[in-house]
Amino acid sequence: MSLEAAGFWGLALVLLASSLAVVLSKNLFHSVLYLAVALVATAGVFLLLQAEFLAAVQVLLYAGGVVTIVVFAIVVTERLVGERLAQTNRGVFTGGLVSLAVLVWIVVFIAGAKLPAAAPPLTGDLTQAIGRDLLTRFVLPFELLAVLFLAGLLGALFFARKEE
Amino acid sequence: MNAGTLALAALGLPFCSFVLLAVVPPLRRAGRVAGALSIAAIGGSLLASLVLGRTLPRESVELTWPWLPAEGGPMATVGILVDHLAASMLVLVALVSFLVQLYSLGYLEHETPPALGRYYAYHSLFAFSMLGLVLASNFLQMFIFWELVGLCSYLLIGFWYTKPEAARAAVKAFWVTKAGDLGFIIGIVLLWGQAGTFQFSGLFQMAADRTLPTAGLALIMFLIYLGAVGKSAQFPLHVWLPDAMEGPTPVSALIHAATMVAAGVYLVSRVYPLFLLTPDVLALIGWVGAFTALLAATLGLVQADIKRVLAYSTVSQLGFMMAALGAGAAAAGFFHLLTHGLFKALLFLGAGAVIHAVGTNDIWKMGRLYRAMPQTAIVFLVGTLALAGIWPFAGFFSKDAVLAGVWEGGLTTPFLMLALTVFLTAFYMFRVVFVVFFGNRPAEGHPHDVPLVMSGPLWILAILTLGWGISLAASGGEEKAHGPEWIPWLASGLAVAGIVFAWLTYQKRAVSADALARTFRPLYVAALSKFWLDDLYGGIYRGLLLGFSRLVGWVDRYLVDGLVNLASAWTLRWGDGLRRIQTGRAQDYLYGVAFGLLLVIVWSYWR
Amino acid sequence: MGLQPYLILAACLFTIGLFGVLTRRNAIGILLGIELMLNAVNVNLVAFARFTGETAGLIFALFTISITVAEVALGLAIVILIFRVRRTVEADNLDLLKG
Repeated sequence: MSLEAAGFWGLALVLLASSLAVVLSKNLFHSVLYLAVALVATAGVFLLLQAEFLAAVQVLLYAGGVVTIVVFAIVVTERLVGERLAQTNRGVFTGGLVSLAVLVWIVVFIAGAKLPAAAPPLTGDLTQAIGRDLLTRFVLPFELLAVLFLAGLLGALFFARKEE
Repeated sequence: MNAGTLALAALGLPFCSFVLLAVVPPLRRAGRVAGALSIAAIGGSLLASLVLGRTLPRESVELTWPWLPAEGGPMATVGILVDHLAASMLVLVALVSFLVQLYSLGYLEHETPPALGRYYAYHSLFAFSMLGLVLASNFLQMFIFWELVGLCSYLLIGFWYTKPEAARAAVKAFWVTKAGDLGFIIGIVLLWGQAGTFQFSGLFQMAADRTLPTAGLALIMFLIYLGAVGKSAQFPLHVWLPDAMEGPTPVSALIHAATMVAAGVYLVSRVYPLFLLTPDVLALIGWVGAFTALLAATLGLVQADIKRVLAYSTVSQLGFMMAALGAGAAAAGFFHLLTHGLFKALLFLGAGAVIHAVGTNDIWKMGRLYRAMPQTAIVFLVGTLALAGIWPFAGFFSKDAVLAGVWEGGLTTPFLMLALTVFLTAFYMFRVVFVVFFGNRPAEGHPHDVPLVMSGPLWILAILTLGWGISLAASGGEEKAHGPEWIPWLASGLAVAGIVFAWLTYQKRAVSADALARTFRPLYVAALSKFWLDDLYGGIYRGLLLGFSRLVGWVDRYLVDGLVNLASAWTLRWGDGLRRIQTGRAQDYLYGVAFGLLLVIVWSYWR
Repeated sequence: MGLQPYLILAACLFTIGLFGVLTRRNAIGILLGIELMLNAVNVNLVAFARFTGETAGLIFALFTISITVAEVALGLAIVILIFRVRRTVEADNLDLLKG
């Protein structure tokens, strides 16, 4: 077993385990922490795929930003409720059945597809390529993204403001 | 002005009056003003008709406009056809309509103005329809006006629609005549299928050239004759006419004596060249006419309602006309139509005057009215003598012509029936005269002669009846039939015998009416119950039609409605069930998304 | 290592996220499930980019991450707002879509 394969299986194990914990844990706070683990594991998968820049973004934005926001939200909500937020599931059987069916069919689909067995050798620096493409081919979506953020910012402010 | 313009004017004036009265409510509600307008219009028509009758050229005048465009020329036309037949009828219709409308001003003076306006609107429509029928140049147009006339008859019989009997009588008249009209329209369509045209002139040409296919023509002509049976109250569809007396008396005079019921006779006269091709149908017409005449005369013997006596005498006289037509004496039949139109209008209007004065239709509640209303008595007597066929009244000549025509036509048995009818006619009419105007008991109340607006038309009709007869007598009987010499003597003798018999029975009381009733008991009972024909029709109606209606109603209520209810119930149930999957929770909708995703994957996999 | 294990990993991640979205009662829990699903998408995008040599996949993943952050921020704002108005974040009770 190569180093890459060993890393992959290890990361996959951590990733799936923590993901299941996210959706099954009774404690909402624990769910968020497991999510952070899952996101960091994903960053690891990105590293395996030699996308270092994305791995960094993943850790900074997701594991840093998102998790922090969610923790804030939970804290705020719990203060409003005045009790701990319990987290339960309902319709586990039907939900699991539907999810499993989707998984089975996706896997069947993937198994039937012709996929490359090995990655081609890397040419040049991926991070450099991302930077270049972002400001040439994808400059318009990039700027639109800025507009979207502005709109999101305003929306969040609007929602969060105090009622007059 | 040429003939076509005059005829169009005569047709158009009542129509304008009707439209004005129909679409301008204030005018209609003005009552007497509406009447004046309608009378002025029909007066103009009368004038145009008279001028037309004077100036009519020898050959017929025809104006047509294309209608119903089809490949290779119009399928039908509208137009007017004026010949001597139409012109004579035109004058009769316009004259009687004019006099009756004038008379109605007096007769219906107690009606409310809106009702009177409605009455005159109907009258204008009727005049237009009848004149249109007379002037029609093709079968299709004639049928349309024919139905319009039937509609007017319905409206006018039911004029007092709050009276249940009047409403029933209106519906009955409508239904019974429609039964005949069904045959008429089928006959028209079949004839069109054979000949390819509705046009009278074209059909006559084909008949003259012997190019009209004769196969099935007898059936067609019989069907067309059915229309005449309904309108002219021939046996067995005569049952509506006596009931139609529920309408105002002037309406009876106009529609159910002088004009509309004559439409059937006019129809047969109009298309006589076609009937000549089917001698069997003509013979049938003659037999049915004579039988109707006799049957109605026996029915007239037992009636106590003065208007019903006159109604049955109308049926009887229509039978005379039809018999003449069937025997081949078309001119005699039409001649009788014209004279009958005059004196029957006179009789009805006279009866109306009596009813107006006494306030009842029952002849047994009248008596000695000669003293109270001498004018009415005189004109009524003139009409009765004309109807009985006494020289020198107009009725004598026309009845004589009819009898001669039937004898010449070789219909011996119908001739005997008609001769018997002459006797009966004189008897029952003078029964009415003796009971109402002479009699032994005075009438209740204080009857008095009618105002000028009513007596004027009566005198005009009486003078015309007498004057026409005298002019015929003076001219040596130019229009007299060419029958054997003995026929006028026989007819007069029978009529006088009838009068004398009536005098003995109802004036002198030398013959007991009760004894007569006992002697002819079966006939008396049968006549009193109208030979059970109404009961038969009622039974057929109740048994078959109502039974069928109930069946259809049951099917509709339980089968059709049941299916509809079932469908709606299922829709409701399914809708209610489907509503439950709309929970409003986003997660449940997400299940739908998941299923959709599955479907997409499966589909892309199997493709 | 081929592409296939990565894709199957991503599929598993996606299904787990779907399960969470379908079954969680709490609105915040549902948001966490959505995060997992988006994460799976990112794994797919990056894996495809690596194995085809096309950098567009990486850039899309970058966009996805950015938009996700915005989405989480807005989603949580909505959750807090709902909570203020209706005093609950139970998804079962949020059935205003009901016809």
